[in-house]
Amino acid sequence: MRIAASGLLVIGAFAAAVTLGAQAPATHPDFSGSYERFGNIFGQPTAAQLADKTIPPRNPPAPLLPGPMKEYQDRLAAIREADRKGTPLASGYVNCLGDGMPSMMNAMFPIEFLVTKNQVTVIEEAFTQVRRILIDRPMKKVEDVEPGFFGYSVGHWEGDTLVAETVGIKEEIRYQNVPHTKDLRIKERIHLVAPNILWNEITMEDPAVLEKPWTVTIAYRRMPDYTLLEYICEDNREYRDANGVQQIRVNK
Amino acid sequence: MSRLLHILAIIAVTIPPVFAHHSFAMYDHTRTVTLKGEVTKFQWTNPHGYLELDVKQKDGSVKHFSCEMTSINMMLRLGWRSNMIKAGDQVVATVAPLLNGDPAGLLLDVTLPDGRKLEPGVPAVNTFKRTAPEEQ
Repeated sequence: MRIAASGLLVIGAFAAAVTLGAQAPATHPDFSGSYERFGNIFGQPTAAQLADKTIPPRNPPAPLLPGPMKEYQDRLAAIREADRKGTPLASGYVNCLGDGMPSMMNAMFPIEFLVTKNQVTVIEEAFTQVRRILIDRPMKKVEDVEPGFFGYSVGHWEGDTLVAETVGIKEEIRYQNVPHTKDLRIKERIHLVAPNILWNEITMEDPAVLEKPWTVTIAYRRMPDYTLLEYICEDNREYRDANGVQQIRVNK
Repeated sequence: MSRLLHILAIIAVTIPPVFAHHSFAMYDHTRTVTLKGEVTKFQWTNPHGYLELDVKQKDGSVKHFSCEMTSINMMLRLGWRSNMIKAGDQVVATVAPLLNGDPAGLLLDVTLPDGRKLEPGVPAVNTFKRTAPEEQ
């Protein structure tokens, strides 16, 4: 009886495996190609924007804890005041630094995804930014990753969705000026919602700064005939002065 | 060509305002100046292109102005090419001048010798108030 029961278990497990195998797609979608940011909503969304299900809803503000919220709001106020006075505070762009993660996924300029078996490579045209998502590789501990602009990313496929996780982002590399700690963890779910529209649902987790995970969704539209251009900071006339203000070198 | 420029103009005004390399707050948003001058260099570089102009003053002297443009990648997508303007061309440039008084400005549009008018796709260009031609 015990043998018969064991046999049934084996058969059951085999059947389950076969069923799972049938459900899981044999191959994941290859969404390789060039894309541009799509579906931005500035101001009030129009009726057409609301009706278009390929346009993600407006992203929520960062759910910051009180202390970091004050630092963030003070920073925004300082930026606005400096702009009002015509003495803008220098951002990393002034020194021709790339966005880093996850800002590069905002695709200020066109972005390219290269889906290969062991790696998904993402290239953002502005500043020629490149990041690599290693497929089916173990995640590292935060302390084992040297902090950088793009961090260390691993990913796996859940059906048609590329699920990626990133750690190791320098604290000064901020998304929309929102502060974070070295423990920032970025989770992405990247999937097609239409044949030529890709969504990236980006969730930032950082319990010391955020009261709950913060998810923003970025949409991209395929650019079928576009090849990313080179972008080299060949003559950067902007610079950051001693007061952190953006200046420009003028040829007189 | 005029149809192309019409399309470029439409694209230029529909560029989302967030796609800026950096703040343009150092330029005067309340007035424009018109520079009629000779191109000394049309610089096709990132992070920004530059149009260098020699502008003859009323007293006969020549004053040099640097006109900052946007990223050449944006300009290329809008239809610009590196050979559209060359040294020696006589052009008319509309710029938002630097607030600190240095002889430079943000190029809002340029009219070429053949009458074509090009815009480099300045983000949020409508926030720059255009004033009556004020020659330098």
